[in-house]
Amino acid sequence: MFHWLEKHPFFFSVGVFVVIAFAGLIEIVPNFAEASRPTIGTKPYTTLELTGRHVYIKNSCNACHSQLIRPFKAETDRYGDYSLSGEYAYDRPFLWGSKRTGPDLMRVGNYRTTDWHENHMRDPQSVVPGSIMPAYTWMYTNEADVDTAYAEQLTIRDFFSVPYNKDIPMKDGSYEQVVLADTLAGAQASALEEAKLVAADMKSKDIQDAVAAGKIPEIVALIAYMNSLK
Amino acid sequence: MNKLTLAGIITIVIMLGATYLSVGLTKGGIGDDIVNQLAVAGAVILVIITVFVVIKYVRQMQTDTASGKLADENWDGIGEYKNELPAGWALMFLGTMIWGMWYFTVGYPVNAYSQIGEYNEDTAAHNAKFEAKYANMDDAMLVEMGESVFLAECKVCHGLTADGIDGKAANLNQRLEAVVVKDVLVNGSNNQLLGFEFPMPTGADLGLSASDIDEISAYVGNDLKGDQPAMFGVCAGCHGAEGEGLDGVGPQLNGFNNTLVTNVLTHGKKGAIGTMPKFADRLNETQIKAASAYVTSLSK
Repeated sequence: MFHWLEKHPFFFSVGVFVVIAFAGLIEIVPNFAEASRPTIGTKPYTTLELTGRHVYIKNSCNACHSQLIRPFKAETDRYGDYSLSGEYAYDRPFLWGSKRTGPDLMRVGNYRTTDWHENHMRDPQSVVPGSIMPAYTWMYTNEADVDTAYAEQLTIRDFFSVPYNKDIPMKDGSYEQVVLADTLAGAQASALEEAKLVAADMKSKDIQDAVAAGKIPEIVALIAYMNSLK
Repeated sequence: MNKLTLAGIITIVIMLGATYLSVGLTKGGIGDDIVNQLAVAGAVILVIITVFVVIKYVRQMQTDTASGKLADENWDGIGEYKNELPAGWALMFLGTMIWGMWYFTVGYPVNAYSQIGEYNEDTAAHNAKFEAKYANMDDAMLVEMGESVFLAECKVCHGLTADGIDGKAANLNQRLEAVVVKDVLVNGSNNQLLGFEFPMPTGADLGLSASDIDEISAYVGNDLKGDQPAMFGVCAGCHGAEGEGLDGVGPQLNGFNNTLVTNVLTHGKKGAIGTMPKFADRLNETQIKAASAYVTSLSK
């Protein structure tokens, strides 16, 4: 048999592939099937949160901030529970980040608040002396792009079956729904409603005036996204 | 003695000489350093064994002739003998197959290394050590631990000196600022600083006029120093005549205490200045106790 294999290199290659692939099958597939499901309590992003996520990506926040907490005591003490793969089920693309020039933001919504972000994004050194983070002042005047976020929501709902308007199990046993509007006008209206809630906790008069006038500054969307990271 | 053995002996002499020189010339030499002596002994054994093994195989290459039955096929003129597989190899091959079956079915699924498992062990060990080390802390130790907790978790909003960074967060060097008192008097409050008390009614419900509210805010915001406004009696009913607080009714106004700070840390708080997140998941009980002791010590 071995002489036969030596004389037929194609079948020899197939045999080698099968033997090696079997190990992969045993070690990867069962674990992957389990880990790739959304964890209980993981919700898809709302329109405003997704808008904020686009602001996050546009400003390359992920170049300095990771969103991945490794299972080490020193790390979980500082950032919260270690990350599970199912928590990224609705992240497209992943924002794990390449390195930590700044701290991890995976669960920043648990320990920072709207008013803190408002101060910090305008002038990081005013709250964190010695911080090397630049100020992002233009986020307070630029208007956020809700339309693109809504287009993305429609796309991921249709192509990846992201469960908008469906019951999502939460940790306490209840169910919640993330509402996706039927029309663009509806999505803009619901984003504005969310923005009003965020702006109510902000100090800047300009921001509150803008939201009252129906505009959503980028900072409001970004803070909505930050607060959703839990 | 043939040429090959002679060459081997010369190689041994040269290599051992080099070993002797390189070790003997270093600090300590061979005489009084046990590590150097062991290194030299190892070198002697290695060099001698290596040279004689090489001699054996060079001889074998010179004299061996091939024999046995050739297999039918050959590759570019290179043939292969149909020798029996050595018994040791065959046994090892079978053993590997049996081990593979065990590994695929039992070994990997049951005994695989788990990163999370190691994390859990680390955390359990750390927590046990923490509890043993800080089981009995006196007040000074609590305040000391509280300060490091403060510098790790609280300073980001409250500032290094706990002054609240120009009104961005509460100034913890005093119990209440006038702006906070005014907000509470205008809007009422339900922060449950004692954990279970009734919500505080608005100033209007208590029968306070706008000017009363301003006076009381200024007075309480000044740490209850100076002349007490006439209408402070309304507050004293629940908060005590000197603002010292009443158990289960109204929290202390003239300073922090452990119950109050612990409740804020555990449940968070929303007030005139902004929202404070809860820290129940980020700090353990001892750390919350320590942070409370530290914050209480600030305003004394």
